[in-house]
Amino acid sequence: MEIFLILGITAFLAIISFFIKNYKALSLVNVLGHLAVLSIVAKLTADIYGNGASISMFNFFYADPLSIFFMLIIGIINAASIIYSVSYISNDLKENIISSAKASLYYVLFNALAFATFLVVMVDNLGMLWIAIELTTLISALLVGFYNKKNSIEAAWKYIIICSVGITIALFGTILFYYAATLTGATSINWTNFMAIATKLDPQILKVAFLFIFVGYGTKAGIVPLHTWLPDAHSQAPTPISMLLSGVLLKTAIYAIIRFTIIINKSVGIEYSSSLFGLFGLLSLGIAAGFILVQKDIKRLLAYSSIEHIGIILIGLSFPGIGIYGALLHTFNHAMTKSFMFLGAGNIVKKYKTGNMNIIRGVINLLPFTGTLFILGAFALGGTPPFSIFLSEFTILMAGFQNKSYLTCGLFLFFIAIIFGAIIHHFSKIIFGKEPADSKVKGYEDFFRTSSISLIFLFIFLIAFGIIVPSFASKILLLAAEVIKQ
Amino acid sequence: MHIINIFAIIIIFTVFYMATVKRITSLINGFLVQSLFISLYVFSEGVLTKNMELYSVAFILFLLKVIVIPLILKQLIKNIKGAFSISLFITLVGMFLMIFRKKAISQIIGLLVMENGLFLLAAAIANGLPFFIEITIFFDILVSVMILGVFVYRINTLFTHIDTNKLTRLKG
Repeated sequence: MEIFLILGITAFLAIISFFIKNYKALSLVNVLGHLAVLSIVAKLTADIYGNGASISMFNFFYADPLSIFFMLIIGIINAASIIYSVSYISNDLKENIISSAKASLYYVLFNALAFATFLVVMVDNLGMLWIAIELTTLISALLVGFYNKKNSIEAAWKYIIICSVGITIALFGTILFYYAATLTGATSINWTNFMAIATKLDPQILKVAFLFIFVGYGTKAGIVPLHTWLPDAHSQAPTPISMLLSGVLLKTAIYAIIRFTIIINKSVGIEYSSSLFGLFGLLSLGIAAGFILVQKDIKRLLAYSSIEHIGIILIGLSFPGIGIYGALLHTFNHAMTKSFMFLGAGNIVKKYKTGNMNIIRGVINLLPFTGTLFILGAFALGGTPPFSIFLSEFTILMAGFQNKSYLTCGLFLFFIAIIFGAIIHHFSKIIFGKEPADSKVKGYEDFFRTSSISLIFLFIFLIAFGIIVPSFASKILLLAAEVIKQ
Repeated sequence: MHIINIFAIIIIFTVFYMATVKRITSLINGFLVQSLFISLYVFSEGVLTKNMELYSVAFILFLLKVIVIPLILKQLIKNIKGAFSISLFITLVGMFLMIFRKKAISQIIGLLVMENGLFLLAAAIANGLPFFIEITIFFDILVSVMILGVFVYRINTLFTHIDTNKLTRLKG
């Protein structure tokens, strides 16, 4: 029932946004709608917390603790992003960057994207999973190219072409998985069906198929060397959409990879997938470290940092046991922290009218509220206690040492040390220092904007998960990790 | 009516034929007939214009596309007894098109060719995906072509060309 409500509300919002011409009414309806969706997801989570059961409907919809966990991430980030969008789009309207028809279009696309991302984590059918992920690419590409500038169109084209090729390869993998199932006489392409017959599937076919799945959905997740579209798309999109791209869309691709990993782990054992994850996780981490060091644009830096964190999540998944728990915790923490940082960066870019970190100086004087939170967020992103990312990175490291993967852990520590230094170097430079004297930076204040509400809302998660994982959250994570380990 | 126009009409019909047939052998035969008439077309063009070069072009076309390539493809089918390799081949050709053809539209075509290859694969090894999924994927591809078309249009208006090789503003 809740599943229909979530899909229904987002679909309804997408349609109704098309017809509301008054901007105040439009934004109010959307904010209320997404808060309603978030509360429904919270109710679903509470139900799962009680009994840990899964929901299955019409052989089509399926939600176990793992999907609910991802739904929770999507719900929170969507709510934060829509609240931020209110002030972001109204500012664009005021500065005549977009027309009011285009503002309506923004909300239509936003809700269509929300619909597609929720669909990804709700379907049982692996073909449908593929379709939903392809839909998220198509809709978000329109949002990346939203401003219709040369840069954004170029970014959108790269994004849609590279991800479409990737997703086609994933379809190839899905067909091979289905082929393996038909060899056992099964005719269903549902995930639950795959789990039931996992031990009977031909491991050789699954191994090849999983490679295609990993490359295909890995393109969408931004795993190096398939990440080339990511910094362009994440930096050119309107900032509330950058939040969604980093916080939600990368995670849905990870979700798809995890779903197939569960099948293949049950069939051929855990070593196969974990060696792949470990290798590509480290590669992503290392390449991202280099690019973060030399980065000049604030949003591109955050985009490369997303690649880094996807690498960390993969490394976590490669360690059995507590590593999977750590990876899921990191998925959540990264979604919160990165959205928070994009939000702050969005305020800074609006104020300075540029993302170039050689020009931006003295943010703390011009935007005291954003500046303060942003530098705290920079430490959080680098993995300093008492913020949430420290805790999840520490959990993953602990799992690595328990697993006696000393080389992986050593490289992991080396790269995150470099990244920590680079992030603090870049961000302290722009936060402090003397602000530019010209009058161009007048006119955008960060107080009394809905973006402040989102900033504080997300900051609560950074702090709350920083010292210890709250016990109810820990239980949900354990239930979700249990799904992966089965 | 000149004989050369009749050849041209036959060539168009072979395209329709190839678009509609399902069996691989019929597809190859369609290709064979099409190539035959193309080489005849080139030959009669050579006769009309008294251009010796066109004779050799027609001859090479005939040799390669009417005899050698269909023979190789038919041999391939005999050996593999299935469309698995062919579908893989089509998919890879699609990818090749996307990488080496720089016009935005040829990248779309490449994507469609890749997806064609996958449908062939699904039909060949698993008797097709479940009906509902297959229909939805078709719909999905339709939407994606429409959206890609929107982007090609925008690239054309903003950059005044659709050469993706020149989309190099974003780096680093």
